[in-house]
Amino acid sequence: MATTLYEPPATQTHAEVTRDVLATLQAPGRGYYYLLGGALFALSIGLVTFIILLKDGLGHAGYNPPVMWSVYITTFVFWVGIGHAGTLISAILFLFRSPWRTAVYRSTEAMTVFAVMTAGLFPIIHIGRQWVFYWLIPYPNQRYIWPNFKSPLIWDVFAISTYLTVSTTFLVFGLVPDVAAVRDKVRGWRKKVYGMMSFGWKGTDQQWRHYSRAYLYLAAMATPLVLSVHSTVSWDFAMGLVPGWHGTIFAPYFVAGAIYSGVGMVFTLVIPLRKVLHLEHMITDYHFDNLAKLTLLVGTILFYSYSMEYFVSWYSGNTFEQTTYFRRAFGPQWWGGWTMIICNALLSQLLWFKKIRTNLTSLFVLSIFINIGMWFERWVIIESSLSNEFNPWAWGILNPTWADWGILIGSFGWFSMYFLLFFKTFPIVAIQEIKETIPMPRRREAH
Amino acid sequence: MSDETPKTIDRRKFLTVVGVTGAGAVALSGCSTERVEKLVPYLVQSEDQVPGIPVYYASTCTECAAGCGLHVKTREARAIKLEGNPEHPVNAGTLCARGQAGLQGLYNPDRLAGPMQKDGLGWKSISWDDAIALLASKLAAAGGKVAVLSGAGRGTFDDLLGDWTRGLGGTVVRYQPFDHEPLRLAHQKVFGVDQLPYHDFARAKHIVSFGADFLETWLAPTEQQRGFAESHGFASGTAARHVFIGPRMSLTGMNADEWQAVTPGSEAVLALGMANVILAERSGAPADANGLRATLAPYTPEKAGQAAGIQPAVVQRLAREFASAKPSLAVAGGVNGQHREALELCAAVDLLNYVAGNVGQTVVFGADLAHGDGYAAVEALFARMDQGQVAVALVHEANPLYALPKAGNFAARFAKVPFKVSTALWLDETADACDLILPNLHALERWDDLRPRAGVTGLLQPAMEPVFAGRHTGDVLLQVSKKLGGALGKLSAAPDFKTHLEEAWAQVARKRGHPDAVGFWRDALQHGGLYDPRPTQSVRLAPGARSVSAKGATLDGDGAYVLLPAAGSMLSDGRGANRPWLLEMSDPVTKITWNSWVEVHPDTAQALDVREGEILRLTSPHGTIDAPVYVYAGVIPGALSVPLGWGHTTFGRYASGRGVNALDLIGATDGNGYLPYLSTRVSAVKTGAYRQVAKTEGSNRQLGRGIADAMPLAAARQGLTLKEAYAAAGHPEPHDNPANEVKAIEGFRESVLKKQEHGGYAEAHPKWGMVVDLDKCTGCSACVTACYAENNIPTVGEDDILKGREMTWMRIERYYEGGSDGEPLETRFVPMLCQQCDNAPCEPVCPVYASYHTVDGLNGQVYNRCVGTRYCSNNCPFKVRYFNWYAYAKRAFPEPLNWQLNPDVTVRARGVMEKCTFCVQRIRGAQHEALRQGRALKDGDVVTACQQACPSGAIVFGDVKDPASKVVHAAAASSRGYHVFDELNVRSSITYLAKVTRPVEG
Repeated sequence: MATTLYEPPATQTHAEVTRDVLATLQAPGRGYYYLLGGALFALSIGLVTFIILLKDGLGHAGYNPPVMWSVYITTFVFWVGIGHAGTLISAILFLFRSPWRTAVYRSTEAMTVFAVMTAGLFPIIHIGRQWVFYWLIPYPNQRYIWPNFKSPLIWDVFAISTYLTVSTTFLVFGLVPDVAAVRDKVRGWRKKVYGMMSFGWKGTDQQWRHYSRAYLYLAAMATPLVLSVHSTVSWDFAMGLVPGWHGTIFAPYFVAGAIYSGVGMVFTLVIPLRKVLHLEHMITDYHFDNLAKLTLLVGTILFYSYSMEYFVSWYSGNTFEQTTYFRRAFGPQWWGGWTMIICNALLSQLLWFKKIRTNLTSLFVLSIFINIGMWFERWVIIESSLSNEFNPWAWGILNPTWADWGILIGSFGWFSMYFLLFFKTFPIVAIQEIKETIPMPRRREAH
Repeated sequence: MSDETPKTIDRRKFLTVVGVTGAGAVALSGCSTERVEKLVPYLVQSEDQVPGIPVYYASTCTECAAGCGLHVKTREARAIKLEGNPEHPVNAGTLCARGQAGLQGLYNPDRLAGPMQKDGLGWKSISWDDAIALLASKLAAAGGKVAVLSGAGRGTFDDLLGDWTRGLGGTVVRYQPFDHEPLRLAHQKVFGVDQLPYHDFARAKHIVSFGADFLETWLAPTEQQRGFAESHGFASGTAARHVFIGPRMSLTGMNADEWQAVTPGSEAVLALGMANVILAERSGAPADANGLRATLAPYTPEKAGQAAGIQPAVVQRLAREFASAKPSLAVAGGVNGQHREALELCAAVDLLNYVAGNVGQTVVFGADLAHGDGYAAVEALFARMDQGQVAVALVHEANPLYALPKAGNFAARFAKVPFKVSTALWLDETADACDLILPNLHALERWDDLRPRAGVTGLLQPAMEPVFAGRHTGDVLLQVSKKLGGALGKLSAAPDFKTHLEEAWAQVARKRGHPDAVGFWRDALQHGGLYDPRPTQSVRLAPGARSVSAKGATLDGDGAYVLLPAAGSMLSDGRGANRPWLLEMSDPVTKITWNSWVEVHPDTAQALDVREGEILRLTSPHGTIDAPVYVYAGVIPGALSVPLGWGHTTFGRYASGRGVNALDLIGATDGNGYLPYLSTRVSAVKTGAYRQVAKTEGSNRQLGRGIADAMPLAAARQGLTLKEAYAAAGHPEPHDNPANEVKAIEGFRESVLKKQEHGGYAEAHPKWGMVVDLDKCTGCSACVTACYAENNIPTVGEDDILKGREMTWMRIERYYEGGSDGEPLETRFVPMLCQQCDNAPCEPVCPVYASYHTVDGLNGQVYNRCVGTRYCSNNCPFKVRYFNWYAYAKRAFPEPLNWQLNPDVTVRARGVMEKCTFCVQRIRGAQHEALRQGRALKDGDVVTACQQACPSGAIVFGDVKDPASKVVHAAAASSRGYHVFDELNVRSSITYLAKVTRPVEG
């Protein structure tokens, strides 16, 4: 255990940490604007697609009954899943006192909030009459009509909105001391804005005492959500009687998948970010090694879950289940099923090798496969289950169209836009927490 | 009371208010294109027009020659649905898909708005006065060289047309594309009677069809289907057996218990062979049949078997089965088997029926079904045109330039006529080749009568004001004759055709000794016509019977495959191709919509290296067509089948350019008085092109899931349940839960129903249920069309059907069983509609209660609450919920097709889910009516649209809590009942009665 303890670079001082982190907030270069432009372009593709869908109807998307959900719900679950790594890393690992979370948790938390913001759009985009989406929200009305609390889709509304509220609060709250640090270094209108966002933070002992306590409580509140939100999302499926959905394994299986995809996205975002923002000395191999071990753990849980799904469908003797799983592997869209198994269950096993865990290139490549694999997992669960249900006469195969891909691209644009704006506006590495990890004696000497 | 102001509105005041608003609404909406001021009925309340209450007018269907009786349902002076007339002897209250689609002829957006004159290559509108003056002047100058081609059935109009044409010195040729000439000519040869007889399917205990599609286009399909269901449907131990003999399994073949896939053209030899066996074994042949011995002797079972490609023992078995059932019935004829030996085939079948003693029993002469003059007369008419002997040609209710093969060069011959007039309602191929179009009124807009057979006279009355400014051709004839004057001017004293018709009926009344001609007329109008007992006429063998012989039909060309043009039950001879319903209703056999196809046997497909959707080029000596492949095991390997009725070049927006015309491949040479459709060999070449086939079928195998279940006849006779029948056959029931699941479900079932008993659900309400007898269902899809008509279901078009987005609230699933390893191919049909589950999976998942359970046990769907999450559909095991991906209703009903919409049913917006609710509008309507009359709802008050239309009577609907109801009786009377997916514990409200299979015995 002792070997995993964090040893920060000895040369760093508090001032250096502040300096290095705030350096990331300097005026962006040309490359940044290209990226932001790209994100906005992608977003505009999504917007135009959505306007067309609003105007004509969902028919443009590749819905092929009986497959009534497709790319939009797939992508919804994909983004919700990604949102799970952030809270896991910032809240659960905080409670477990894992020091290696320090360097990465701010970026993962931001990723969480933006991913949930992205995910939340999809249920609205995907419904037939988008303009009355608020009927899913229980609000007092003259007609005394309430939503159906039996419906898992209502549970989903609660789960996602709760998760968005808590994770946003957690992020904003965690930012307070860092925003104060920025406030102290900038001038003009920026100082005013950062000043307001730091809520009059002075760094007094009393403030620190309240802050640390409050942060702990927030972490404790966020922790169960990591498990409950994606369990609820899984019940969107598992509560149905559709073969391939109707499984008791779904909740843990989805939570593991969510963390897997979330950590995958952390790799995808943080590896380039670290290089671009010159944070190599703060986010080190050590962090990636630990993240990779987490990935290995949840990847193995997924491996087990996939195996169990197939085993149970065979063992049940239920012809509907058997047909669904047979067609998932050997049906007309077999490639989806195998993409999911290879990318998630098999490729994650490469992380047994330390060389791969500590090689950022291999991790980055692997993370792309994880993202693809996890998107396909949700695609397969939706497509291959719905396309061959109970009634063979009503079997059909999903063929996504430009409208599906337009919204998918738009969602990446939407997410990237927020993330790009965030890391140039707020410290992407938690200054105060890095400072906490710098050995105490120096702090005392300086006093 | 001191207060003088009345607190309630009295009746007069109410009607005044309703009348004023109603009149305003009518004036604004405009039910007619002319004389709108005549349509202001509500100011002075008429007896039969109450806003919101439908009015029914009895009329007669003109969509085929069968002449079924109609009840035209009108609301606020617009026809909204066609239903069968229960009093009519032909259809007895039911109506086929084509008949119901007559409404889309009435409201067809491509109907002509008025008379048109050819103007160079285009058309210009002219006034009716000018048009009639033009026609009169041309006729006056024609000097008797006038020819009329009329598709109108026998009746007063036809008589008038005949008199009119004779008055001009011309001739009338009565023309029906599917005219059954071989049948009629054979009867003339064998019995000396030039008639189409009545076939009593209901009495037959054994039915053999030599390619006759008696459930599709042959004679009177609706009536025959009713008879077939009665005799063949399993009821109480007796059930007729049906053998289908032909190279292609049509819908009729799919409903057979045995399909003998014989060599095309060999059927006549086989029929003679069977007759020979029967006569030789003397099982019931009439005495005078002995004279046939010499005629039949050469047709030994060996010879017949060799010709047909079956074992001699099978020929003997078929013959013995046929002879031992008394009475039995053999039928032949129809377009599908109309080859060069069709006349001989029909004659051979006459002999077969005769030696088996069926003539006079199940084949009844005297009924004299309506028919045209035959292909020979048409061919002669065109020959006269060719020779310049026709100066003016009038085409009425016919489209010969489409329905005759191009090889006959009819268009060029027709073009030689200097002045051609059409009365078509739309610009069809023939009308487009004419010089003047005088659009007739639609059958639902005009006065007329029809005599589809002896003893039946159907009346047509206008159900509403004309939608377009057509004019009754009867009126046109009278006006022209008045203009021409002379002898022709005295054709009728009547100022218009209606008066002429009434006068004709007054004569009928006088003839029948009816003192009150007006009362007689009114009475007939109310009942839809006059129905006398069917006349019978006994026949004996004519000398021609002995000269019947057959050697196998010859075919043109030297291609590798026999071309089997197939008459479909939707488009028929092509006249249905401009009705979006008939295009969207999947073909009952292939389940293909909106385009034509070519049926290829799996072995042939392998040999040609083609798969479904790959385009084959078929070439015959007469022409070439390209059509996508549909692989079908119901067509013999040496043949390719192409449906008829497609490939119109000009017939409105729906028909034009859709599919290919199979007639392009066949020759036009007369085959002894008829057009031999099946007379060509074609070669088939893969083009490399691809066109996805828009079919509504997902998987055509039910994978042992017990959706369309069946049990053998022996088990059904013993009254075994499905479970027992499976056990008796040594198999576990395919849709049976394991014991542990049964235990779990049993406990759960009680609790589910208990939990629902709260509030309104605890009160006494009916519980609606349905029984569907799969042994009666023939898959004809009349119910599907009725559902479309009743429930404003939009057609979605080919592109969306390719995406599986059809909106068929009720659909016919067609599954195959067997067909490999020497097992015979069996077809099963199962009408699939919302099962109105008591424990419905769709209900709990809806987040907004749009899907909810009504107190009377329906799965209600609140369209304006639905937000469109579509989880209900995902969770529905039956997949009977349909989503509006676009604003389908807007594009499916272009003006004036939207006039057909049923005001009692919401027209669904885009983004909402829709589904069957057992015609809840009819349930509530009946309940309100019962409430108004202060009585309880009684069994039979509520009839669903599908039940009403079903010619087989396969659907029974009612309150399952009422122990005396028909639906309870139907379920209790049979051991064959089962629920689809019962193992899911959804508690379906529909009980299916398993099909009864009648495997070959011995």
